[in-house]
Amino acid sequence: MRLLLTLLTGLLLTSPALADGIDAAWILRQLAQPAPSQTDFVELRGSALLKEPLRVEGQYRRPDVGTLVREVRAPYAETTTIANGQVSIARAGKPSRVFALQRVPELADLQASFGAMLAGDLGALEQNYRLQASGSAQRWQLQLTPKAEALTRRVRAVTLHGQNAELRCIETQPAKGDVQRTLLGGAASAAASVRQAAALNGLCDAGAAR
Amino acid sequence: MKLTSAHRIGLAIVWLLLLGVLGMWISGRIQVSGDLRKFMPDARTPAQKLLLDELGEGPGARLLLVALSGATPEQLAQQSRALREALAVDKQFELVANGEQAGLEAFPERLLPYRYLIDALPADAFSSTNLGEELQARLQDLGSPAGGLIEPLLPSDPTLQVLRVAEALQPANAPQRIDDVWFDRGGKQALLLVQTHAAGFDPGAQQLAVDTINSQFASIAADSGSHIELSGPGAFSVKIGNRTASEASMIGTLDTIGMILLLWFAYRSWKMPILGFLPLASAGLAGLCAVALGFDGVHGITIAFGFTLIGVVQDYPIHFFSHQRPGRSAWDNVRALWPTLGTGVIATCIAYLTFLFSGVDGLKQLSVFTITALATAALATRYLLPGLIDPATRDFADSARLARLWQHTQRLPRPRWSLAALAALAVAVMLLAPGAFWQNDLGRLTPVDPQDLLRDAQLRSELGAPDVRYLITVRGKDAQAALAASERLRSALDALVVNGELERYDMAARYLPSAATQHLRQQQLPDEPALRAALAIAVAGTPFVDDAFEPFVNDVMQARSAPALQPADLQGTPLATAVDGLLVQGEDHAIALVSLSGLNDVAAVASTARLHGAELLDMKQASESLVADYRSRVLVALAVAVLLLALTVGLALRSPRRVLRVLLPMILTTLLVLAVLRGLGVELNLFHLIGLILAAGLGLDYGLFFEHAGDSHADQLRTLHGLLVCSVMTLLVFSLLGLSSIPVLRAIGSTVALGVVCNFVLALLISRHPTQEVSNAGA
Repeated sequence: MRLLLTLLTGLLLTSPALADGIDAAWILRQLAQPAPSQTDFVELRGSALLKEPLRVEGQYRRPDVGTLVREVRAPYAETTTIANGQVSIARAGKPSRVFALQRVPELADLQASFGAMLAGDLGALEQNYRLQASGSAQRWQLQLTPKAEALTRRVRAVTLHGQNAELRCIETQPAKGDVQRTLLGGAASAAASVRQAAALNGLCDAGAAR
Repeated sequence: MKLTSAHRIGLAIVWLLLLGVLGMWISGRIQVSGDLRKFMPDARTPAQKLLLDELGEGPGARLLLVALSGATPEQLAQQSRALREALAVDKQFELVANGEQAGLEAFPERLLPYRYLIDALPADAFSSTNLGEELQARLQDLGSPAGGLIEPLLPSDPTLQVLRVAEALQPANAPQRIDDVWFDRGGKQALLLVQTHAAGFDPGAQQLAVDTINSQFASIAADSGSHIELSGPGAFSVKIGNRTASEASMIGTLDTIGMILLLWFAYRSWKMPILGFLPLASAGLAGLCAVALGFDGVHGITIAFGFTLIGVVQDYPIHFFSHQRPGRSAWDNVRALWPTLGTGVIATCIAYLTFLFSGVDGLKQLSVFTITALATAALATRYLLPGLIDPATRDFADSARLARLWQHTQRLPRPRWSLAALAALAVAVMLLAPGAFWQNDLGRLTPVDPQDLLRDAQLRSELGAPDVRYLITVRGKDAQAALAASERLRSALDALVVNGELERYDMAARYLPSAATQHLRQQQLPDEPALRAALAIAVAGTPFVDDAFEPFVNDVMQARSAPALQPADLQGTPLATAVDGLLVQGEDHAIALVSLSGLNDVAAVASTARLHGAELLDMKQASESLVADYRSRVLVALAVAVLLLALTVGLALRSPRRVLRVLLPMILTTLLVLAVLRGLGVELNLFHLIGLILAAGLGLDYGLFFEHAGDSHADQLRTLHGLLVCSVMTLLVFSLLGLSSIPVLRAIGSTVALGVVCNFVLALLISRHPTQEVSNAGA
């Protein structure tokens, strides 16, 4: 889920903000953006197995309408490419692994909803999620709650945080485990020098960064 | 006996009711078994043994393939999950699989440590360098979008061995998964595999299983518009059983109405249908009782074939009724008929005796059933019916129409050489008609719609089930020996795959290595200090917590000391299906099966198998040889039966000329029916054979009665009346059967109907009472 939503950041484009009256349709219109596009990201992955949360930096790219690339630059190099129903993962020093998108339902669900988001297709998105927008144009949230039972078994909810036409952060609440956050665009740049987990979490909330 | 008319018919009705009560009592008591093996000869070759085993109780025969379609993939996936959940808790089912537990959950918790013994591990699997690399890769996995999926596995399995094993255990072409469950290639049908505890050819249990699945699905599907489709041996036997039963009961009802009307029309009395039915009903029940007493279970086919064969006893009371006339006591009447009737019954019974020595359980049952039934019907006609029938009010000899008909028949020629020509022609058609003479395909013995078979093959291929025609078998004295022997075959098979002579193979040892191989792998696992030391070095270079992988150390140590995994340990897991299907365990031996797909060079595979002490089996050939074997036994029994029959008739008639006149119509009819069937391109099967036997039995009676029609003109007219009623009735019953949509019923119906017509006409031409000759002989 997270991956595809983060890919939305590829749609990032600044556009004039509306004064108020935000809703899901308005947000989607803001986010819609033609390929090619790209945005930096910073992700934090907390785990009881790790001494401290794993901080991953990189870039999401959308080189063409049908392709999504997640490139990790630090602390290691890894490139994940999703295109034509296939996923390929390339890691430094290893041959890249290719498998069918359908073998990883998490990615398949996202691919299906991703198409709708890229096209700004509110109707298609609403087939899979209940959408709930809140906040103002300067500081909005869009909560996506999965409708399909298969999806709810993996993801409880996804919250997008944004400012005007900028998607700044995606919060994914998995069915089991802690919230995972992906900072994008301006928020990712702001996070470049921040090393404290709490401060990074704060950045997720668009208003807190200002 | 001074009984009033009311008493008599009252007694007849009481008799009928008693039969009804007895029938209900018996049907509750006898165990009708649908086990096809009881109707097959004993297997002689290993291939036949395996086939019979597979047919009855092999896991393949207990598999039901389920397809859900007609709704959106999400709905279907959800229904598939709900159905699996509902069926998994039902005791009838050994296994319900829809792809959900494949992969990670294919391995139950208690067997997880065995992941280090099932698949071969590289030599440096537990070195600090390799563990370090694995941990670095896990860190990246954790940081990937699928991190949440991987995290719970890491403490006990940082090298993701379970995924490696799950991947290795995946059938080479498992169906694709949508929303976690199996779907066909088109993504339109959710697929499930259900394995019952009951055998595939136990129609009762399969019916219950199919009903359970259908009703569970109905409540799950509600009004989503989706529908369910079941395939596999069990589903087929249920479907055929139901269709045959419903059609047979419809035809049976029509037949009963027709028979009642015909009997009423022939004798103009409402009592005749009741009286006429008594010998047949008594015969059937007596036959069933005899089989139930003498055998473990009554085979369903015995009942079906048996009741077909005793159709001849319906003629006994009719001959008796037609000879009734005012002024003659019923007892005198039946006594006069007895020599003719008795000759037929005794000759037929002696002929059926040969089936008793056929060596096939089903045929023995058939023999006991028919002999008991024929004798009962004859005795009932002889000793009970005369006491119950009202004194006759009319004599059929007075019928002007019958007299005119008789005159016409007297003018018919008595063919001699033309018959020889006819016989020669029939034999020529029989032998020269193109196409196979016999139908050897075992599948057609219990005919499944070709459409259903096609669908089954399609589902099988979607579910990745291999073709079953060719199979390699590896024998051992027990499961471990067979597993080890099949493991030794692997390198040779891999070479065949590399050379393209074979596309794919599968064997139980792939899922469950032999104990010896497991021991070998245990010795290659590191001891605890070595593992801890290597792990400490590997963890030190990563952000992982120092003691994050304690469960991993525990699992490896457990794998190192655990007793080898045995077939029985797998019970109830998805792996058990794979292993059970490929490992047949007998009392004092075991056979490992190697299933094959894409045999491009059968000879090469056969010789490789032979070279390694294994054997390539052609299941199709085995099944056909079994059917051919079976048929040849039936044919030998029949040849002996014909001889015995001729001998009995000869003893009774004491004149070769008369014997020839009686038997010739029956023999010619058999030739003619065979010629017609062959000429129409019909491949003959067991059901045709049964039809021919019944037709021959009828022919014998027609011959006997025509030949021995009585000395007076009046008696001859009465005999003609009886024979007309008999043959019209039989023709009615079996032509309706011949119109059935069920191939089995159609085969029997058309054969007998054709036989009745030929027998009647030929008996009329050949056997009819030679008035002139008799008076000459008398002179």
